[in-house]
Amino acid sequence: MLNSRKSASTSNRWVRAFVRLVLLVAMVSNQLARAESQQDILVFVSLEGFDIFSASDPGLEGFDRRATADFLYTYNSDRFRFLAEYVWSNTESELERMQAAWQVNDRTMLWFGRFHTIANYWASEYHHGQFMQTSISRPGLEEWEDENGPMPSHITGLWLEHEFSVNGQSAVNLGLVAGLAPKFEGEHLSPFDILDPESGHDMTVSARVVYRPDVLSTNKIGLTLAHNDIAVVSESSPNLTNLNSILQTTLGVFSDWQWDVWRLSTNWVYFDVEMQYGNGDVQDDFVLGYLQGEYEATENWTVFGRTEIGFGEDNSLYLQLLPSVVSHRNMLGVRWDFVDSHSLTLEVADTSTQGNGLEHDRFKELRIQWSAVFP
Amino acid sequence: MRARVAQFLLITALVLTATTSRADVAVVLVADKDSPIESISSLNIRKVYLGIPVTIGGHAVRGFRRRDDERLNQIFLQSVIAMSERSYERRLLSLVLKFGTPRPTEVDNHGELLESLANNSSSIAYMWKSEAESNSNLKIIRVLWQET
Repeated sequence: MLNSRKSASTSNRWVRAFVRLVLLVAMVSNQLARAESQQDILVFVSLEGFDIFSASDPGLEGFDRRATADFLYTYNSDRFRFLAEYVWSNTESELERMQAAWQVNDRTMLWFGRFHTIANYWASEYHHGQFMQTSISRPGLEEWEDENGPMPSHITGLWLEHEFSVNGQSAVNLGLVAGLAPKFEGEHLSPFDILDPESGHDMTVSARVVYRPDVLSTNKIGLTLAHNDIAVVSESSPNLTNLNSILQTTLGVFSDWQWDVWRLSTNWVYFDVEMQYGNGDVQDDFVLGYLQGEYEATENWTVFGRTEIGFGEDNSLYLQLLPSVVSHRNMLGVRWDFVDSHSLTLEVADTSTQGNGLEHDRFKELRIQWSAVFP
Repeated sequence: MRARVAQFLLITALVLTATTSRADVAVVLVADKDSPIESISSLNIRKVYLGIPVTIGGHAVRGFRRRDDERLNQIFLQSVIAMSERSYERRLLSLVLKFGTPRPTEVDNHGELLESLANNSSSIAYMWKSEAESNSNLKIIRVLWQET
């Protein structure tokens, strides 16, 4: 959804910060260049058009477009690693990630900065690299928090990642994160703004365990656990009146598996939510999940589909605070990869969002997208 | 009779020449002659070129690739990495995107590759056997592929 338009001054602030940051890293890199070091720059671009039709609320219908460029810069020296990701589009301009790591040893990395949380599988797998994900859309469960996602995507804090090797061929990865959670503002979650440290955010802790039976393949299965203490800006929406904070605990299981030309990815998350009102607490729990299948018909053509469902989400009081969250979707699509790093993708979907009451908003979606990565 | 002997000798010579030239067409893994790397397993070669950390003698092993020899790259990807070029590039991109993992360094030509190996003693590269044998600053660690 495209309702997260940032103000021009905020965008300019981010652009200035990003330019200063890159200059700073370039200067530091120059000093470190005598040691073995390596830099990389990638630009993920995409042009997307989408049409909403046959909507239960005719006001939702219409055509929209989005142009996005995602700039990724990485720097590596012997024990130091730096990564910055900046997204510019016709709807937002934001420094998405800015993180540095000390490589403790071959198997342990300690990151600090602003990063995508390990408890959000899709975000930590594809980030903003639209070209890298087969589908155009993200599952509603995995949407960015400021684009109607139900759980945090961006954390500012510390992230420890360790890999345990099993017989040299398999591996178990353990990730632990502690940092600042988003806050609830209006009708969505807002991540911590590192340029505005006084913006009022509470803590989050999360953990992830991933088992990879073969480190040379991409197959994996994992568990996520997170506890998010979400501050609420009560005056930002009438729906938030008297709501002081939200305690959200999530427990998820995900998998991404490929058998020859077939691929199956899935993620199921149980939400336990405590909404702390001035006159008492309200408990809520529900499950959101999806199953995405892909079939590589030829080297260049992939057919895919995804179904998104939930349990207990229809009457969830927490999700009623997020009326645009996608709670159900049945989607089919086809992707054509051409030249080296370009793709054209078409998607059709039957979707429903949570809506403003107990009635969901239902509509059909048609999306078409060109995406690429340079160089 | 003389003609038959001549014909036999000619065929034998052709077969021997063909056999010799086939044996010469091979891809080998090399390092600088002063490199501490004496041997490396197939699994670890794949790890190095897939961005997974491998340490030998306390040093992280770095892999170099050449841009200017498409056939050499194709043979390496098919025979050693066991991936299509597209799958391989996607895998490397994914690691850069997720963790900022450095990709194997690409160099433009053979000369640049030799210089890179000389400057990075814990690095490896693949090249044609004939190229490796003609340079005394290199040591061949193992044969990766041989034309049959």
